[in-house]
Amino acid sequence: MISKHSVRIILVVLSVVVMAGGGLLVKAQLIPKSFGLYGSYRADAIEEEAQKVVRHGTNKSCFECHPYEAKIHLQGDHKTISCEFCHSTYADHVSNGKRTAALPVKKGEEITTLCLRCHNTEIKARSTIVIKTVGMPDHLKQQNVKLTHTCNQCHHVHAPLKYINEAKKITGLMEEKP
Amino acid sequence: MNPALYEASQNLSHGASMLISNYVFPNDLHVHWSMMIVLYPYITGLVDGAFIIAALYYLFDVKSLKPIARFSLLFAFAFLCCATLPLLLHLGRPERNFNMLLTPSPSSAMAGFGYIYAVSMGVLSFIVLFVYRPDLVERGKKAKGFMKLIYRALTFDSNDLSEKALALDGKIIRFLVGLGIPVAAVLHGYVGFIFGGVKANPTWSTPLMPVIFLFSACVSGISAIIIAYIIIRKMGGYSVDSDCIRTCIKTLTGFFILAFSFEMLEVFSHSYLKTGYHHMVEGLLNGPLASSFWLWQVKICSVVPLILLGCMAFITLKDSIYTFIAGIVSCILLLQVFIMRWNVVIGGQLMSKSARGYTVFHPEWFDKEGIVAVIIIMLIPFMILFVLGKIFPFWAEERKGGIQ
Repeated sequence: MISKHSVRIILVVLSVVVMAGGGLLVKAQLIPKSFGLYGSYRADAIEEEAQKVVRHGTNKSCFECHPYEAKIHLQGDHKTISCEFCHSTYADHVSNGKRTAALPVKKGEEITTLCLRCHNTEIKARSTIVIKTVGMPDHLKQQNVKLTHTCNQCHHVHAPLKYINEAKKITGLMEEKP
Repeated sequence: MNPALYEASQNLSHGASMLISNYVFPNDLHVHWSMMIVLYPYITGLVDGAFIIAALYYLFDVKSLKPIARFSLLFAFAFLCCATLPLLLHLGRPERNFNMLLTPSPSSAMAGFGYIYAVSMGVLSFIVLFVYRPDLVERGKKAKGFMKLIYRALTFDSNDLSEKALALDGKIIRFLVGLGIPVAAVLHGYVGFIFGGVKANPTWSTPLMPVIFLFSACVSGISAIIIAYIIIRKMGGYSVDSDCIRTCIKTLTGFFILAFSFEMLEVFSHSYLKTGYHHMVEGLLNGPLASSFWLWQVKICSVVPLILLGCMAFITLKDSIYTFIAGIVSCILLLQVFIMRWNVVIGGQLMSKSARGYTVFHPEWFDKEGIVAVIIIMLIPFMILFVLGKIFPFWAEERKGGIQ
């Protein structure tokens, strides 16, 4: 004769088995249908992602309507930088080939903030061989300019050394080559 | 000469003896796995160590551990409840963890952890319920209303306390604890494996990692149990069983010698093999981690307790002094394991993949993963333990101040 206690234990074991089995059933129900068709992901996700509207453009798309900026940009040290890095997303400006809105224009202090996103020495994350970095306001002091100066007062934002080189050409002052 | 090359050569001649130019990749600047990921192996480790103490009594019949065996189980349970909390807080969107359980990817180490955690939670819950059944039956008889219903559920609706029933319970407990040991070892070994499996990080990527994590887990868990036992007993005005403390300390000594040896062996292996990233690891341990690794983890929190444990083993001490030193050693070892987790998790991320620079980590107070969050998370298991103590008595019935 099985004791009442043993019966309870058997019931506990059975309920664990039922719960585990029930869990597997619930799991099977909750897994999306297309999951695992190609790999460990939902196959429908590919189609859904492909349907998303493309929001970013290339520099080429920008240059189509901005030939003046294109000319300077392509000759300067910033030629590899994407327009969208500084000017925001293409789709906020152009839709179906037509201009829909103006992109935000950085002014004053905002320009310095933007430049320092890459050119700040404090970041210490980029080799100076790759990107010239400066410390603020030390750089302004070294150049003997007002501390309120923003970067674009000396540097053309598309070709940072454009004005500097032109000034050197005029004055004939070229830095000594190492 | 190309100006860039010139600059590079200048840099090189400047610090020819120093390979580190502090050139950190932008994506390596921020330490992504911060204090919550330090807590995650720490909490699972505490579970593991506490469970080992319980297993020594219930499976290996170490009788002197009887006074703390039940408490260790509850302690392990309370901390296991919170083991995934730091992870979920770190990741954000905690509801998404169900996706991981629904469609586990075979190539995802974390998905495996979800299942191992669930199994260990199940096993530990049943061990607690079976161990406490006689107490729960007695309490259930006195309880009324809703509480009576709770006690009925917790005792599987069986109030049979006959010898035969208890013998059956005993067998089930032994079976479950026997099952629990590999589950607990896998649970924490797996945490070590998750780190050891990160190939991109030279300080983590070693097959020794699960072993180191496992032994240090036992150290932290046993230390925590010793401290909790001494404090809770003293606060309640009860006596502390010195025989039990002595057995705990002996077990702790064994595990700590293994843990510390493996920690040092790992450093030795790195240093002897001189693998591709060795200069970085060496620079890390002697640079940004010089204080937290060599001074704190090794000298203060490992060598000092080793000397103390040696004194406790070789010198005959009075029970009260032995208990006092046991408490001190346990505190230092709890800190040791925490610092070790810190040095592995955060220290390992201070190196940039450029192999030419280190970043710094600044813990914040009120961050999502800040110091306040750490304190709150560490308090939750104690709150759970307090609530559990209302239903599951920590100690067997006894007179206040009496001898067990």
